Amino acid sequence: MSMKKELSGSPLNRRHFLRGLGAGISLPVFETFLPKNAFAANGKALSVTKSGMPLRTAFIYKPNGVNMDKWTVTGTGRDYQFNETQQPFAKFREDIHLLSRLEHKNGTAGKDGGGDHARANATFLTGMRPYKTAGADIKLGMSVDQIIAREIGHQTRLSSLELSCDGVRKSGVCDSGYSCAYQFNLSWRSDVTPMTPEASPRLVFERLFGAGSKEERAQGFEIRNREQQSILDFVMEDARQLNKQLGRNDKIKLDEYMTGIREIERRVEKAKRFGLPKDPGVSAPEGTPSEYEEHIRLMMDMMVMAFQTDSTRVATFLLAHDGSNRSFKEIGVADGHHSISHHQKDPVNLDKLAKIDLFYSMQLAYFLEQLSSKKDVDGSSLLHNSMIVWGSGLSDPDRHSHNNLPIVVAGHGGGALKTGVHTDLGQDTPMSNLFLNMLDQIGIKEERFGDSTGRISGFTV
Amino acid sequence: MLDVLMGNRKIPASHSGRNDSYLIMLKAFIAISAVMLIPCLGLSKDPDEAIYAAEIEPIVQAHCYDCHGDGMDKGDFAMDKYQSLDAHFKDIAVWYEIWKNVRGNLMPPADKKALSESEKKKVLSFIERVVFKIDAKNPDPGRVTIRRLNREEYRYTIKDLFNVDFDVEDNFPADDTGYGFDTIGDVLSISPLHMEKYLDAANTIAAKAVPVDGPQIVEWWVENKEFKSEQNEKHHMGYIPMDANWTFKSNRWVAHDGEYELSLEFTIKGSNEATEQTGTLNFGYDGKDLVQRKIGWDNSKSLKVKTKARLQAGNKVPFHLTMEPGNPPGEGKNKLIVSIKSIVMRGPLDGSQKDYPWGFRHIFSEGPPPPGQNERDIYRRTILGRLATKIFRQPADAVTVDRLVKLARMVDEQPGKNFEHGIRHAVIAMLASPRFLMRAEIQAEPDNSGKVVLIDEYALASRLSYFLWSSTPDEELMKLAGEKKLRANLRAQIDRMLAHEKSKRFVESFVGQWLQARDVETINIDARVALGIKDLEQARRQFNGRVRSGMREESELFFEHVLKENRPVSELLTANYTFLNEDLANWYGIKDVKGREMRKVELGGDSKRGGILGQGTFHIVTSNPTRTSPVKRGLFVLENMLATPAPPAAPDVPPLEETLKGKNKNLSLREALALHAQDKACAACHARMDPIGLALENYNPAGLWIDQYNGKPILTEGKLMTGESFKNAKELSHILATARVADFHKALAEKMLTYAVGRGVEYYDAPTINQIVDRVGKNQGKLRELIYGVIESAPFQKRRGDGNMLAKIKP
Repeated sequence: MSMKKELSGSPLNRRHFLRGLGAGISLPVFETFLPKNAFAANGKALSVTKSGMPLRTAFIYKPNGVNMDKWTVTGTGRDYQFNETQQPFAKFREDIHLLSRLEHKNGTAGKDGGGDHARANATFLTGMRPYKTAGADIKLGMSVDQIIAREIGHQTRLSSLELSCDGVRKSGVCDSGYSCAYQFNLSWRSDVTPMTPEASPRLVFERLFGAGSKEERAQGFEIRNREQQSILDFVMEDARQLNKQLGRNDKIKLDEYMTGIREIERRVEKAKRFGLPKDPGVSAPEGTPSEYEEHIRLMMDMMVMAFQTDSTRVATFLLAHDGSNRSFKEIGVADGHHSISHHQKDPVNLDKLAKIDLFYSMQLAYFLEQLSSKKDVDGSSLLHNSMIVWGSGLSDPDRHSHNNLPIVVAGHGGGALKTGVHTDLGQDTPMSNLFLNMLDQIGIKEERFGDSTGRISGFTV
Repeated sequence: MLDVLMGNRKIPASHSGRNDSYLIMLKAFIAISAVMLIPCLGLSKDPDEAIYAAEIEPIVQAHCYDCHGDGMDKGDFAMDKYQSLDAHFKDIAVWYEIWKNVRGNLMPPADKKALSESEKKKVLSFIERVVFKIDAKNPDPGRVTIRRLNREEYRYTIKDLFNVDFDVEDNFPADDTGYGFDTIGDVLSISPLHMEKYLDAANTIAAKAVPVDGPQIVEWWVENKEFKSEQNEKHHMGYIPMDANWTFKSNRWVAHDGEYELSLEFTIKGSNEATEQTGTLNFGYDGKDLVQRKIGWDNSKSLKVKTKARLQAGNKVPFHLTMEPGNPPGEGKNKLIVSIKSIVMRGPLDGSQKDYPWGFRHIFSEGPPPPGQNERDIYRRTILGRLATKIFRQPADAVTVDRLVKLARMVDEQPGKNFEHGIRHAVIAMLASPRFLMRAEIQAEPDNSGKVVLIDEYALASRLSYFLWSSTPDEELMKLAGEKKLRANLRAQIDRMLAHEKSKRFVESFVGQWLQARDVETINIDARVALGIKDLEQARRQFNGRVRSGMREESELFFEHVLKENRPVSELLTANYTFLNEDLANWYGIKDVKGREMRKVELGGDSKRGGILGQGTFHIVTSNPTRTSPVKRGLFVLENMLATPAPPAAPDVPPLEETLKGKNKNLSLREALALHAQDKACAACHARMDPIGLALENYNPAGLWIDQYNGKPILTEGKLMTGESFKNAKELSHILATARVADFHKALAEKMLTYAVGRGVEYYDAPTINQIVDRVGKNQGKLRELIYGVIESAPFQKRRGDGNMLAKIKP
């Protein structure tokens, strides 16, 4: 049955993998082809920093809100104090920007009743209200990462990267009448099609660098590209024939198929342009670690490698779906995350929740550590040339609050972003506004996104 | 904690692209209305209005107007705000709410007088007939969205097409689900990632399914049963004790003259430790020994001897195999056993009669390809036409086959490539095609929502096959479909399919999702808390993977038994037997079950087990890691056994947690729930859920029976919303299986229909569900009747054009 494939002795194996990754640091980085690819057709730079480096964007989702007592920041501007569960960020104080009072109004019940976890998850990167359905007519909105991918995806081998640690799904119904699609996908390429995330580190690796040994990868890539085209032509013709016979809704589904084929064709075409994927100097990880932390970190390693080799410039990572009831025995919390997130103000529950929050903060710190230890071509760190959003679609999980969300922006955007500060926006402000600011940085001009009402101030230096 | 999973059914929304279908519907609506009105011309009053005034309005007035009429509009909902009855009947959205709430026993609320069964039926059928315009004799079959194969279906389809095992869990992302199942077309989307995976998978699978090393010297497998023992007729070569003389003989058919390589593979079993025993194995033909091998204890390794022999074609090549004993085993040692694994004749070795290996001759059915490309095209057409029909689940049209032939020839003509490479390439193309990956059902006028058609026989074959086998139709189904005889032989085919071992896939998939048995091995349960043991390792050793997988198998085997034996559906709740092995029996505290294999175990009358609600699967999937959740359990029963979705908590209801603050925080769960339910807004929901969940509190999160919790006795008495009282879990199960058995049938029918057809159950399915429930009721409640009912229903047999009948009234 659907038991997870486990990597035996996982920590050791991951360390082994990471030792290999260390070798990857020294490999030459994309200098030769960067300038001509970093610019859009009209010559305008897209997702490029001041120094001409790729600007990388990542969105990481932490489930089930936080214990607000141990999260809420005291003080604003440069003069603020980390709360308890933010301690792991201390080392990166000058690299991050803490934001208070961002909200997702479309996450609230409205007329839709229960289902706050599904909505928290669904709204996070879309700012849109998910249509309440258990299956038929799912409808949400394009997520911010996919807007970025649409505009800059042609510049890299992969338009975007979607990751998750939820490889095994719960069966049965999901949250209060919402289809599970809302709860297990962060990224949506259109209002009806989610971008399915990948949960296996090995498969992510193979997407980035090809399958098999180093030699096989090089060989396989060539052959695949050559032979694939005739297959793609055949199936596209098949799809066109079929399309003529279908009704409206079926055509929407078939269009997903055709989009997928076109995406592969684009990739083949890009592969010709970019040549072989860069050799990361390591072999693919063997399987999915049984320890959650190892799994998270391996996926983060993949994101770092993808950014480092400029395989993509935008990634999303669903650490766990909102409402996740995972237990954290490794940090002494045997209870399910969701069940104790309804802490009832009970100090014991709040304590356990804070422990989990701390665990998640440490994972972000790990990611930032990795990014800051990798040098980009301009001599600054990858973290310097990145724009990371980390947070949750709920603040107080007990009340299912969708305002004052716990949000961290990390990275300097190549030096453009204001960091080292805590900004209290003063009043509830759509998270979608923040996304408009981010799109600005990438060079994408949008007047509106999701439920945006404008832009936030004090985002840049 | 309160935020558990609740069902919530809605009228489907319209995509913006669908709105124009409203016009078509409106036309249909007018046409139907006109027909209905003809007999009434000349009467001053519409007959339906008269019926309403005489029969329905009094019920509604008595039961609803306290809150929703006579000037009251609780929840912004008034039922008598209309200028005319006609306007009232046309406000479908309001009627949909009434229908949904009455049908699900949600209204009138707990503290008001309930509708009698006959009143309920009157109101519902009036709404269905007059407002929804449902024709019960000819119900709207709805429309199933084209859908891709889910992971399980893909796995089994590949297995059945090519006998190739493909690890879908390792290679494909998890499928999204809807309505609790992974068969829902609307949510089985295709992202670019999926396409990458499907293309990779097509390459991997074709590489295994289509060999490219051409015809080989043939390997002829001689089966053990072809050899007869001279000493004992019943003995076979899989078990030859080494303490006596044995002779086995066979007259083997040989196809061609020539030299053959003979290889004999065997193991020596019987003792895990070394013994002194020896013997001699002889193998030969025509009375001459070809090989002689001294044998002794060899640690059960696989051993092989090879020899060559010149054989003549014909029926009677007399082979023999003898065993002569040598030393005895020695004091207190077990005797050894020779077990022949295989005898293979490979030849003729001169290569004069090469052919494809047996497993691939269904592809290369006419042997090696001819030399010329044009002749090869004819062969390719045969091979690819047949494969395309199998892979696409319907006859491939000539144009498609032409394209496949061209594709294969193009590869064949490349340097370094051969005929087989071409076939493999075409197979890759087919496995990546939407006609393989997606189940499309073609109908005339696909966008005419008024057009209802029977699905064609091939589509029916696919629906049957994916429902009962999670896989592609087999040859018999395809043959019947081709002759247009499948519909006529439906019942026999269903029985054949259920008898086939592939039906186990249906059991695993359906039980895996309906009862969530898929989750029982992975869900977090703290073994320490469940067992009251401090040490994690010790606790995990007891509550181990074998106990959990035993629970999953228990649920599957139990359902399978009721299905195969065609027992009453209610037995799923009240059976006095279950399926156990030693591990699970120990866990449940049931004695005298020994060994690893699961078997049927009769339970005593006072057993705590028997029926779904006594199974570990149910207890685990409705618990939190460290405690049970009566609310989850109550909801699970409402949703999965009573077809009563709990209403979603109203946004302004203070959650249970508010109740539990401060001085109340040491309350037991029962006390807390009771206090919470004093709030009227909470009472409506909790009066339905809590008694059910609390009745099951004797089963802890790991499925162990407990008599007290935190030193307090567990109180399990309670009452269903419909009035039936029970003292404990057993009585609750009994009530569900008797007084509420129609609801149980309805719940299972809805789940089965959803799973089978691949869409949610909608308002227009009401007559279909009613028919299935009636049918099961009239046939001693037998499970197979329910499956027949689903398969013979309009939603399974028919489809209509796109567009939604009630699209305009999206709430």
